[in-house]
Amino acid sequence: MTIQAASLPVDCRQVGVRYGHTQALDRATFQVEPGQVYALLGRNGSGKTSLVRCLLGHQRPTAGRVELFGQDVWSSRQALMHRVGVVAEEPDAPPLMTTRQLVRFCGGLYPTWDQVGVDQRLQRFRIPMDLPFGRLSRGQKGQVALALALGPKPALLVLDDPTLGLDAVARREVYDELLGELGERGTTVLLTTHDLAGIEGLADRIGILHQGRLLVDASLEDLKARHRKVSWAPTQAVDPGDLAPFAPLWSRAGSLGGEAILTQGDPSQVPGLQAHPLSLEELFVALVGSESEVAS
Amino acid sequence: MSIFAVTRREWTGRRNALLLALGIGVIQLLGLYFDPNPVTTQDKASFMGVFSGTMLAWVIALLFGATMVSRDLEERRFGFLLNQPLHPAQIFLGKVMAGLGLALVAGILASLPSVLLSGLWRQLGLKDVGSILGVGLAGSLVLLLFFHAVSIQVRSRSLWLLLDLAAWAGFFLGVRWLSLRLIDTEAFPDMVHLWGGLLVGVTLGLGIAGYLQVAQGRADLQRGHRWVSVTMAFTLGLVLLAGWADVAWVLKHRPPAAKAPPARVQIR
Repeated sequence: MTIQAASLPVDCRQVGVRYGHTQALDRATFQVEPGQVYALLGRNGSGKTSLVRCLLGHQRPTAGRVELFGQDVWSSRQALMHRVGVVAEEPDAPPLMTTRQLVRFCGGLYPTWDQVGVDQRLQRFRIPMDLPFGRLSRGQKGQVALALALGPKPALLVLDDPTLGLDAVARREVYDELLGELGERGTTVLLTTHDLAGIEGLADRIGILHQGRLLVDASLEDLKARHRKVSWAPTQAVDPGDLAPFAPLWSRAGSLGGEAILTQGDPSQVPGLQAHPLSLEELFVALVGSESEVAS
Repeated sequence: MSIFAVTRREWTGRRNALLLALGIGVIQLLGLYFDPNPVTTQDKASFMGVFSGTMLAWVIALLFGATMVSRDLEERRFGFLLNQPLHPAQIFLGKVMAGLGLALVAGILASLPSVLLSGLWRQLGLKDVGSILGVGLAGSLVLLLFFHAVSIQVRSRSLWLLLDLAAWAGFFLGVRWLSLRLIDTEAFPDMVHLWGGLLVGVTLGLGIAGYLQVAQGRADLQRGHRWVSVTMAFTLGLVLLAGWADVAWVLKHRPPAAKAPPARVQIR
């Protein structure tokens, strides 16, 4: 079924961002469908922040068009923000406002504000309500930001590295909250993250940005089906040339044996090769890792 | 009202300025009691009360203007407001109102103890109070908007600063030239009108530039600077042109009796 552009929560077409002579983002095109969790991955400086700023109407792209729910985000930012919840990469609430004041401030701006839900979330996170935001821990700031973002019951949630700097417990709490929200309301989520293991069970679709270009835009299932990880023991005489028919994306061989990520064919025919489940992190490293390790 | 929500947000954390204002007011009061000549002291204290209150209001407006948007942008906290369903006008006006309100209340707090206890308030009519508040508020608005624009221009560190400098230099040279033409003909009241008009025009331009910086620049400091620079260069040029037209009209339509005598008569 084709989804009408007007109902697409996110529709980026040929989006480019240039800072002077630096092309930070180069013709990025992707869509996020309703109810989908789209994870945008990339190394530092890959263009994620520029893309998110364009998505939220903070910055005007130098090329292309960004639409949320069928409306141009630059010209309709105010109206669209009624339907969008945002957790910024760096907690950006005024540091001298207490959580209580922040909740009151945001609550007054949205007709759909769910005060009970926000209070319950903040209680679950054990957030001190009368402490200034600037004096909360990094994890607590992220949790307050998430509670505020979910407050207006948004149709789209944009999370810019929401688990950055969080410990394992705080990370888990953020993901549990997200899963609860997804289960309850089917909110569309676009998130950027470096926590690849954390989002593996959460994301439906993956976009990988590298040096400003969107290298990958595919469902997680497709990605895993298209790539296979194999390894071989040092005793096995596997020549990297033997892997050529399988179009290796990445390979590494040494005294401890070798491993490779293959993009086509059935490697079980090659004696000595063992197939392994491929993690998102391994695939990401293979795609955007150091150039010396990536096979041509 | 979203504007007031923004105003309240801006006030949070800047309330220390009010404590400082009250402290200044109380310190001045002490002068009333520790001076050997209480009559003179009362006059001095009441004058100082109004003077320091106005000065404090202007300093607060200046500092507020210099930080209200540019500091948020530099510390990457402006996104918090942009992520809310707020119109750029609500963000900008909310911030301006917060700055003016803070300057006004601080000014009143700093001057009130002296004005009340020295008895000056008995001599002041509503017109005087209105004039003092009007001058204080108008000055605060000009300073707030001017230093907002300056802070954007300085913090963005872009080459548009050259256009800013050229525009302001051209504007001041133009004002000097127009003023000299009026001074030559001793049209001093017209010069006051000219300066008043220029100030109103420039303040309007600063207000528009500030709004456009928020509406069109948003989280992009360099882009915001570009809008401020272009708007101000255009405004300063337009205001100067209007000033030139005003001076030309004044010189052409001055009554002959009021015209300055020819230069050779002056030499004799």
